[in-house]
Amino acid sequence: MAQPPTIAVDELGIALANLRDAASGTVTPTLRLGVTGLSRAGKTIFITALIHNLLTGARLPGFTPAADGRLVGAEIAQYPDKAMPRFAYEQHLAALTGHQPVWPDSTRRISQLRVTLKYQSTRFLKSLGGLSTLHLDIVDYPGEWLLDLPLLSLSFAEWSADALERARRPASTREAEAFLAALDALDPLRAATDTGAELLANGFTQYLRLSREDGRALSSLPPGRFLMPGDLEGTPALTFAPLPAQTQQVRRGTLYALMEERYEAYKRIVVRPFFRNHFARLDRQIVLVDALRALNAGPEAVADLETALTGILACYRQGDGNPWTRLVSRRIDRILFAATKADHVHHTSHDRLEAILKRIVADASRRAKFAGAETRSLALASVRATTEGTLEEAGETLPCIIGKPLAGETIGGKIYDGVEEIALFPGDLPANPDTVLEPGNPVRINFLRFTPPDVTTRTSDGVAVLPHIRLDRALEYLIGDWLR
Amino acid sequence: MREPIARSTSRPVEPEEVFREPRAVPPTAVQRVEPEADAFADLPVLTLEPEPRFKRAKWLGRLLWGAMGLIASLALGLAADSLIRELYRRAEWLGWVGLGALALFVLAALALAIREAWALRRLHGLEHLRHAAAQVLVSDQPDPARAIVQQLSAVYAGRADMARARTVLDADAATLFDGADIVRHAERTLMLDLDARAKALTAASARRVAVVTAVSPRALIDMGYVIFESLRLGGTIAQLYGARPGFFGSLRLVGAILAHLAVTGGILLTDGFVEQLVGQGAAARISARLGEGFVNGLMTARVGIAAMRAVRPLPFAALQQPMVRDFIPELVNLTKGTGSPS
Repeated sequence: MAQPPTIAVDELGIALANLRDAASGTVTPTLRLGVTGLSRAGKTIFITALIHNLLTGARLPGFTPAADGRLVGAEIAQYPDKAMPRFAYEQHLAALTGHQPVWPDSTRRISQLRVTLKYQSTRFLKSLGGLSTLHLDIVDYPGEWLLDLPLLSLSFAEWSADALERARRPASTREAEAFLAALDALDPLRAATDTGAELLANGFTQYLRLSREDGRALSSLPPGRFLMPGDLEGTPALTFAPLPAQTQQVRRGTLYALMEERYEAYKRIVVRPFFRNHFARLDRQIVLVDALRALNAGPEAVADLETALTGILACYRQGDGNPWTRLVSRRIDRILFAATKADHVHHTSHDRLEAILKRIVADASRRAKFAGAETRSLALASVRATTEGTLEEAGETLPCIIGKPLAGETIGGKIYDGVEEIALFPGDLPANPDTVLEPGNPVRINFLRFTPPDVTTRTSDGVAVLPHIRLDRALEYLIGDWLR
Repeated sequence: MREPIARSTSRPVEPEEVFREPRAVPPTAVQRVEPEADAFADLPVLTLEPEPRFKRAKWLGRLLWGAMGLIASLALGLAADSLIRELYRRAEWLGWVGLGALALFVLAALALAIREAWALRRLHGLEHLRHAAAQVLVSDQPDPARAIVQQLSAVYAGRADMARARTVLDADAATLFDGADIVRHAERTLMLDLDARAKALTAASARRVAVVTAVSPRALIDMGYVIFESLRLGGTIAQLYGARPGFFGSLRLVGAILAHLAVTGGILLTDGFVEQLVGQGAAARISARLGEGFVNGLMTARVGIAAMRAVRPLPFAALQQPMVRDFIPELVNLTKGTGSPS
């Protein structure tokens, strides 16, 4: 039986926090933007590019407040929650715009940022008071942690069955071998020892790590903290492993009972606060999906991605609220599904990329619409690393992208060094999005990762302009109507 | 140093061809369906507003006018020919002078005709652009949108006052990938300033008309002035948006403005109906002439708006179309002066 993701105490806390926000929001409204995406979907880049573009007021022609000249300015403000690290915007930006631009490292801990926007409202009553202000709260976190959200509604037995089924799949034999062997050697109904539990948990963690490095399994392997432990490394809450279901009565003190207890502790200590503090009270959501990487890896990876996203998005509170219910219950009323890294394909393929994205998030999107939320999908690149061109090949003109592949990227046997610039035709995306999920379909495409673009344009203030694709459209959809 | 290596990675494969297996089935298993014409294919793309297009003469009319033109040209040619002959008969040098004058006349007429044709083409081009833009706003295709931006840049290429906007637009259009976004951005960058100036011109005209009507002794004079001012306003606004109409262009423009007024007059009328009634009532109470001036001023404002809609190369999508009610404050403040004629 599926459990609700929160307990009554959480609900009370969420309602009170909403009420507090509503009270302070009467002076300055706060929009909480949820940036959702599995690891390497591009959350950090998206947030950095979004903040940078807002702060500098650079190229956002599709973002109405900026295009109309009503957005006066933005600045980074103090975040109200003093116990949380600040999003390292400056470091990330420096990495992106440095002499040798590099992508920021993958996120290892949670961080947050508040951007305050000043704008002139077009509404008569609001514009009477001069400029209006809006706080935009954004949280960045390791994408692996997101995988934990579905655990909230799974019991230990359910999760174990799921995890073991996954481990026993033929595709993951190599990674799971050691763990499964250790599992078979143990009897779950015997008295538990700390060393035994640790051994098993280590084996499990190793298996998770291996399958992530492999890259085929697309990180739909909870629990996420096993991969990104943060400061909880080695604690009992992070020392457990799935066990096969037991037919007999499970007595206290057995390994099974211990594991179950730790699993519940993990949910209580790690997952639930994470969910309560960051995901239960959002106004808008952008779901970043790295569809290209999954396509590269094959239909199984795409199916994995679909399962993971559907499971994660089912945890969010979506739907249409009214000003009164919003006092105590915040709901996401707009969701933007974004296929990131759209600069890895030519713009003529963006339609197909969007179609594939729509297929991947179809279930999640249907559920959100049923709850009353608006959804939209688009292909975007927060930072555009390539330019476009055409190349002639055997009398055929192919649309291609031009950029520098990251060092180590390989295509057709050639390994690139990160300096050479190439024109790449990555292959055609399928016209029928259903084919990307059909098992056994051969992979006909090859996307490379590119280095960040060299900064060539600067604003009149000397600030680097980060090129992007449709970031302005995303912004318009996500926060444009709050800036009316 | 760029050294692009052109390398095709995987051969482009038509997915449909690859993923569909060839197969044969007995004909009885096939349900025959006649290809049906797409019911939506013929539907016109909805533009944002009903817009009258310039009507072309039907072929019968063309025949009539063509034949008449031919006869007239023949008559003119004959007359010129006999004139020159007559001049030669009188004196050799007179004939040469006549011939020279005729040549100059023909040359000038030709130049004028070319200019008129050019102006007409420009006017037509603006109209065409507007329709193309309205379609892109619906279809969201990037390539036609880029073509529109290029044409707009060409239209305003010689304009010093739009150099900055042009540069911004060219730079930004390359970073946009959605047709509607490109068109809306083009409108924001290029039209914002022009709209404001057109609005100012219209307001000044409306005020002048109101003042002249209020002080003119005869109805005929202010009618004449309204017509004169409307023509001038239409011409100036067309020039502002890059049309530069000549004589025939102006005629066509007047036709377009009248058509716009006929189609949209009702909308524009209701837009400020209450204000008009109130304004007119209040003004008329003070003085009947002032009330008339007010009405004529509003009429001129309407002409200005119609002219904007007729010659603006982009439809009103991102920016707001001026409304008659926007001009009412200007007209009420007649005491501020008539403004300098532009």
